[in-house]
Order: sequence, then structure tokens, then C-alpha cells
Amino acid sequence: MFNLSRVARLVAVALLASGGAVTAGNVPETDQPIKVIMNDWTGQHVSTKIAGALLQKMGYNIEYVSAGALPQHPGLAQGNLHFQAEVWSNNVGDLFPKMVETGEIVVLGDLGLEPREGWIYPPYMEEKCPGLPNYKALYDCAQAFATAESFPNGRLITYPADWGTRSRDVVTGIDLPFNAVAGGSEGAMIAELTSAMATKSPIISMMWQPHWIFAAHDFNWVEWNPIDGECIEENQEKETACGFSQATVNKVVWSGFEETWPAAFKMLSMMTLTNADQNAGILEVDNKGRDIHDVADEWLANNEATWKPWVAAAMN
Amino acid sequence: MRLHNLNRGFFHWLAVIAITLACISIEGEWKWLSEYPNAFIAPFSDWLNVIMDWTVNNCGSFFMGISWLLEWPIWAVQKVLNWLPWSVSVFLFSAVAYAASGWRLAIFTLSATIYMVVIGYWEESMNSLSLVAISVPLAILIGFVIGVWGFYSDRAERVIMPSLDLFQTVPAFAYLLPILLLFGFGTVVGLIASVLYSFPPMVRNTIIGLRSVAPEVIESGLMSGATPSQLFWQVRVPSCRRQILLGVNQATMASLSMVIIASIIGGTSDIGWEVLTTIRKAQFGESLLVGMVIALMAMIIDRITFGLAQRSGIYDPNQQGLFERYRLLLIAALGGAVLFVLAQIFSVLVDWPREMVWSPGRAMNDGLAYLIINYHAQIDAVKTFAFFYVMLPIKIGLQGAVSPFTWGFALTPYHKAIYTLAMAGFSLWLGLRGKNMAGVLVMLFAVFIYFGLTNIPWPCVILIYGVIGWKVGGRNLGLGTMLGFGFMAVTGNWAEAMLSIYLCGIAAIISFIFGTSVGIWAAHNDRVSAFVRPINDTMQTMPLFVILIPFVMVFKIGEFTGLLAIIAYAFVPAIRYAEHGLRNLPETVIEAANMMGATKNQLLWRVKIPLALPVMMLGLNQTIMYAIAMLVIAALVGTNGLEQIVYIGLSDGNFGIGIIAGLGMAIIAIIADRTTQAWSRTRREQLGLDASL
Repeated sequence: MFNLSRVARLVAVALLASGGAVTAGNVPETDQPIKVIMNDWTGQHVSTKIAGALLQKMGYNIEYVSAGALPQHPGLAQGNLHFQAEVWSNNVGDLFPKMVETGEIVVLGDLGLEPREGWIYPPYMEEKCPGLPNYKALYDCAQAFATAESFPNGRLITYPADWGTRSRDVVTGIDLPFNAVAGGSEGAMIAELTSAMATKSPIISMMWQPHWIFAAHDFNWVEWNPIDGECIEENQEKETACGFSQATVNKVVWSGFEETWPAAFKMLSMMTLTNADQNAGILEVDNKGRDIHDVADEWLANNEATWKPWVAAAMN
Repeated sequence: MRLHNLNRGFFHWLAVIAITLACISIEGEWKWLSEYPNAFIAPFSDWLNVIMDWTVNNCGSFFMGISWLLEWPIWAVQKVLNWLPWSVSVFLFSAVAYAASGWRLAIFTLSATIYMVVIGYWEESMNSLSLVAISVPLAILIGFVIGVWGFYSDRAERVIMPSLDLFQTVPAFAYLLPILLLFGFGTVVGLIASVLYSFPPMVRNTIIGLRSVAPEVIESGLMSGATPSQLFWQVRVPSCRRQILLGVNQATMASLSMVIIASIIGGTSDIGWEVLTTIRKAQFGESLLVGMVIALMAMIIDRITFGLAQRSGIYDPNQQGLFERYRLLLIAALGGAVLFVLAQIFSVLVDWPREMVWSPGRAMNDGLAYLIINYHAQIDAVKTFAFFYVMLPIKIGLQGAVSPFTWGFALTPYHKAIYTLAMAGFSLWLGLRGKNMAGVLVMLFAVFIYFGLTNIPWPCVILIYGVIGWKVGGRNLGLGTMLGFGFMAVTGNWAEAMLSIYLCGIAAIISFIFGTSVGIWAAHNDRVSAFVRPINDTMQTMPLFVILIPFVMVFKIGEFTGLLAIIAYAFVPAIRYAEHGLRNLPETVIEAANMMGATKNQLLWRVKIPLALPVMMLGLNQTIMYAIAMLVIAALVGTNGLEQIVYIGLSDGNFGIGIIAGLGMAIIAIIADRTTQAWSRTRREQLGLDASL
């Protein structure tokens, strides 16, 4: 495996020496394709395709590989996959932390997205529950959110059971008269949200941003007491509740990445994106039905000032 | 009371009911009765995780080697299928279909494959096909070898048969993770999962086939001086070719259905991945369109292999033989070549342009939204009704379900007295009329529905199911049932197991009643039968996930949606078996009934249905199996039983938890299977029908 890549590197250097390369120095170090992970949500596609397009500009050979959010971790550890643009710190299971600890997976740092998690509701619910968006209003108008199964409590859709029980813990912690119903899967949660919006029925749900649903529909966030530092979710009280601690989104690579593609490693370490970048991309793809490839290229064309320094620094 | 009618069985049941009531009454004092004590939960899942870690650390390179070997053929087939212009592949597939079955199938294949092109999923379809193309031969090879081994060695068969049951009933979600850890990330995971799921039918059919070869045939082979290997390859195998081909057909279907589930791992951009992506976005229309691709693929492959199975072994003196076959081959090769050349000129024949992709997905979404908005009230009413009057009573019993908010009144001692008297009176009346067993059943049902499945103490549940197993299938089945349920208590999954049984049980009963009614109708009306058949085919081959999204949009997250999704999948076998059973009754019996002047109603209820009941019971068996298979998918819409634990095990990367819950589901399935099979067998023997079906 390593001999092969060394041969490939030699070949690549030879090819470069013969001229015709756009890039400077000995980049790319090898022709061996960088396998970049595509998960199954559009936001991640936007980040990934932008990173991929930048690497291609540097002369790298890129291969996009689809992978599930859990299976990707063994894949990264074993070196079958090489780069993941978005690992959400709140949804990694048990495998990922173990693999980071043993050094099989290397965390490249924050992607720069500012994710927000919390409870959302459609604006029309403010008529039925006038105290919103403050969370204290939920104590008085739980019945506005009730259904046959939950009556007299309100019904709160939470993350699928396999993503943990954070909402349920908050509900019991601060004594809210709500039943926490596990969403089952992202698709089921989205289906329920869109169907509720269509019929203007009551709904309140745990959700995260950036997500394409915010490009398609209007939602308001339940607001909590402002707090200095991080919100400790486990021990909150009714009067001082702070809601949820916020996640970070990290770039992650295979442990052999730096050795194999040093320049790519440097560039990816520097790369950051903003919520605005991603939301715009998501809107183009999911609402206007455009190809993700074109959207990424468009971002590159419009943001040269942002990415040129990363590539330049990596090439030196 | 006619006491001489009371047999021992009756008293056994009375004892069971008495014990159950006694347990419930002292439940408050002995806490361990209502809840299996945590101190006695054996940490099986931890042990399994330790074993798994050891295996990965010490034998990892061995499995990785296998994985590396298997990757090449998939890669090669994928390259070839993607390199061929779609027009050439479509033509060749249709030609194969013609050769296997004739014009009708060829035209069906042509339109189905063109559909895949037009909706813009050709490449993904070919990626899925290449996985199937490798996994099916592998499954057939493995299945055949194991089948032959099982045929020659009784000892081997005793081990093989129960393992096959496990492979077919443990949900794939439970073993995807160990495969991933052992074989590494990639297409190979999907390949191995689908081989594991699809080789059992091949084994079964090989054994059945080899057994069914007539002794006369073997004898004549021996007399002609065949060596053992000649006897096997030239006498036994050709004589049971049909049965073996049926195994091939079933293995292919199983493989196709698993390819979708395995794509949750990723690695190839195949149809399964597209289905998952559209479902994540809750795009009902798009997911249905993509899911249709797999359904169509399954139908084509099914008809082709079935056609080949039918044609094989028929000796036709007028067949032109080789010439005919060569002519077809020649035409196919020539047509393929011409299209290939044309494709070099017209690029449309190679890559279907994005602008020409036709997708009514959005329109379908709008249609669904229209339905939801306009029938909001009716939908809610149906749901609330089912929830209050059916699901809640079974789950937590009348004592918990009846409240002013749900039924409009609270359960007073007065109501309770009436309920007890009415139920006791009813069963006594049945007993007096000589129907002791019916009386006992009513009593059991009354206790059960009053306290609810999840509130009956666990030792009593084990006892009840054990006695059912004993009465229906003998002592071994009874003991096995008790051990199986005991496993769920010991592993700490009791509460979840009861939730699974509750959901699956209701779904199976509703599916069976509904499906059997449709089946009876279809057996008497050819038009209904022709109408129902394609619906059945589609429901059975459509990826199970696809059904979920529309149900969630209409009925919201929760058990009710899970229930409907299970029913939508599980009613199909009930229809099939009921129709099959009624259409294949011995004609002499029906003639006799007609001559005796039976009316149409009498004929149906007194003659046909009792005679077809054993076959219908096999339909119930299959309904339960399908319901359990779908249950694991229903976890994605927020159900809370064993299926959810399987799913949590997969997403958390906790192998032990997932596989233990998966085994629990397998145990439920196997117990249900054995019980219904045993009942059907006894009935058939009583009726003097052919016991081997």
C-alpha cells in the first residue's frame, strides 16, 4: 500500500517535472485519489463540494464516496475514507471519540459554522400561545400543542431515539407539561413538520440549523435565559433554564492524511465556511433544484478573496 | 354441565388463568413480578462486545483480505455496466427477457428499463444491479454447497436448519455493524449482508429438491453403473433442477431487498442510497419514483428466473434446439453492436441529458399535501378512534385506557362488576354448550384485555405463551417458547419485547383479517384477482422505507403510523395464501357439497373455508414474518420496541446491544412460525389433506 503510494508519488513528481501542471512546487504529492465523504444531507454536500473543488484546483484527484454518519468513522479509521467536512460534536455515537483518542481519526478543527439547536415552532403558533418565543409561555399553553395521545400535556417532537434524549431531559428537568416524542428519523421529523405547516396544525419540535427546512419554511426559535459560558443541560431549573448547549462542527481526516497529502492537509486546516454560505447553497439545491456541482463552482467564483489565501499558504 | 366433556386441557387453562390472576393481585407486594429485577440481568451485550473487540484486533487482517478479494468483481461489473451505453443495456436486457419468457416480458422489461433512464437514475440502477450480480451467484454457490452437505449428513442438517432461521429473522440492522467492523467500509459490507440474507432459501430448496428425487430414478442410475459423482451430477441434480431454480429465484429476490437496507452504510451511489437521501428530505414523490426502480428490477429478475425455471427440464421434440438459440444470440449481439455504434454518434443514447429527465415528484408531493389539508379532520378521527379503542386497551388494558378523556367516562367498580359478570357469563354459556375451549379463550381474552399486555406480570406471560406452545405443538415447542421468552427477560429487554409483540400482534391480526377477506373475494372473482396481483407484487418488492414518509405526513410520528406501515407490507401474503388455498381445493368435495344442495354461503363457510384453513394459516404465518421484518423499519417513525434498540445499537456503534435485541426479534419470529406451522399441520392431518405443502 505504502510502496504503491510512494511509486505514485514519484510518478507524479516526474509528470510535474515534465511541465504542464497549473500548480506550483510538488503539489499534488501523489495521484492517489482523496476519498471525500458525502453524507445524506444537503448542507454537508455544500461544504464537501466546496472543499473538493478547492482540492481539485490544487491539482488533487478527488473521489466522492457516499457514507452513513456512523459507518464513516470505521471507514476513516481504516483509511478507506480520507476527509469529512462536517462532524457534528453532538451526534457522533461512541465510536468516534474512541477513534480520535487512539489517533486513528484526526480532528482538523472547527469548520466555522455556528450551528443552533433548540425547539422551533411555526409563527402561527404565537397567536395560540401569545407568550412565545419565551419558553415560560409553554407552561401555560401546553394544551395548544396537545394531541389525542398527549392530552392534557403538549406534544414535543424530539430527535430520534438514537441521537440521545436531550429534549426529554430538559422537559423533565424544568417540569414542563409536555410529552417528548422521539422523531424516529430525520425524514419522519421533516415529514411531520411540513405536514403540520400545510394544515396549520400545532407543532413544536427539536431542530438544528443550518438545515434546508429553514430555507423552505418560516420557523421561530423558543428563547431561553441568556447565560454566560456554556449551558449545562443536565441541571436546569424552571426559573433559570438555559436550553441547550451548542454544538461545534469539525473537519476530520484519516490519520495518514498529513503524510500523504501535506499541502491538502494545510489547506483543509485553514478552510472555513459561514452559515450564510451554506444556507445560500442549500436554498439553490433544494428549492431551485440546481446541481450541487454548479452551486459549489459558483461559490468559488464569487469568493476568490476568501479561498485564494488558503490555497496560496498551502502551496508554500 | 356436561362434565364428561371436560378434558385435561381445559383444566390446564383454568390453572393458567388462576395463576395469572393471583400474580396480578400480589404484584403490588412482590415487585419482581411486575418488573424483571435489574440485578438478574445478564450482561450478554458486554460479553459480546469484548469478543468482537478481540476478533477485530486479532483476526482483522484475515477479514480485510477477504474484503479486498471481493471488491474486485463488484468493481469490474460496475465498470462494465456503466461503460455500456444505456441503449445497448436496455436492448440486451429485453432480449434476455424475450428468451426467458416471450414478448410480453420483453416489452415489460423494455418499458421498465426506459423508465429508469427517463427519471434520471440509470447509473444508480446499474450500481445496484452490479452488487446484486455478484451477491446472487455467491449466495447460490454457498447455498448449494451447504444444501448438499445438509442432504448427505443428518447431523449437519440439525445444525443448518435452525441457523437458517436465525439468518432470515435477525434484522439486518443488527448485523450490519459487525460486518462493517470486520470487513471495513465499502461495497463489500452490502455484499456480505445480502449474501447472508439470501443464501438460506437456496439451502432449503436444494435440500427439498434432492430429497424429492424419486428412488426409482436413483435406482436406474445405479443400475446403469453410475459412479457416486455421476449419480450426483447426472442423476440427482438434473432431476430436481426446477426446485433448485426456485431457490435461485428466491435468493435473487432476497438479495435485492437487502441491497436497499445495506445501503445505509454507503460506499456506492446506488438506488438504496438515493432512496435514503430522498426520505431524509421527506420527499414523498421522489422517493416513490426511485423506490419504483427497485420494485421493477425485482419484478423483471423474478419473471426471468421464473421463466427459465419453467422452461428447463421440458423436453420438446419439435424444438429447433441449437439453431433457435444461436439465432436469438445472433440477433442480440447484432442489435447490441448496432446500438453501440449509433450511441457513438448520438450522445443521447449514452447519457440521458439532465434537461430531459422527467420527474413528477413535485406534483405527487403537492397531491399528498392536498389530501392532508382537505381531509385533515377525517384522518384525525380515524387515528383517534383506533388509538383509543384498539391500541390503548391492548397495550395498557381497559383499566388504563378507559378515562373521561378517552372513552368519555371513568371506570367505576360498577362498570368493573358488569364487565366481570358479562365475560364470566359468556364463557360459562359457551362451556354449557359444550364449547369448553372457546369458553376458556374468552376468559383468557377478558383477563388480557382488562389488564393489557404490558401490565401482565412477566412470569405469567412466559407461562401463557409456553402453554399455548405446548398445546399446539407438543412439549418441546412449549419448553422452547418459555426459554425464548426467558431469554428476553434475562437480557433485560422484556418491556421492549412486549411493545414489539403488541405492535406486531395487532398489525398481524388486522393484516390477516383484511388480507384473507380480499383473498376470498379474489378467489371467486377473476377480475379482482387480476387487479390485486400487480399491487401485491409492487408492495412486496418496493423498498420498505418508501412506505413510511406518506404515512408520517398523514398520521404523524408514533405507533399508529408504525402500525399502518407494517399492515401495508404484511397483508400481501394473507391475500396470496387465502386465494391459493381456495382455488386449489379438491373438486370432488365441492361437487359433493353442491349435489347435497348447499347454498353459496354454506358452501363458502361450511366447506371451502374450513378446508382451506390450513393454507390460510400458512398465510398467517407469513403475515407474522413480514410484520416482524417491517417492524425494524417502523423504528424510523418512532416506535419503542426491540426494533428501536436494534437501531440504537447500529447508530451508537454498540454491537452487543443491537445483536441481542435482534436475536430477541428472531426468537419472537421463530416461536410464531413454529406455533402456526404446528397448528396448520395438525389441522391438515385431521382433514386428511396432503400434509406436505
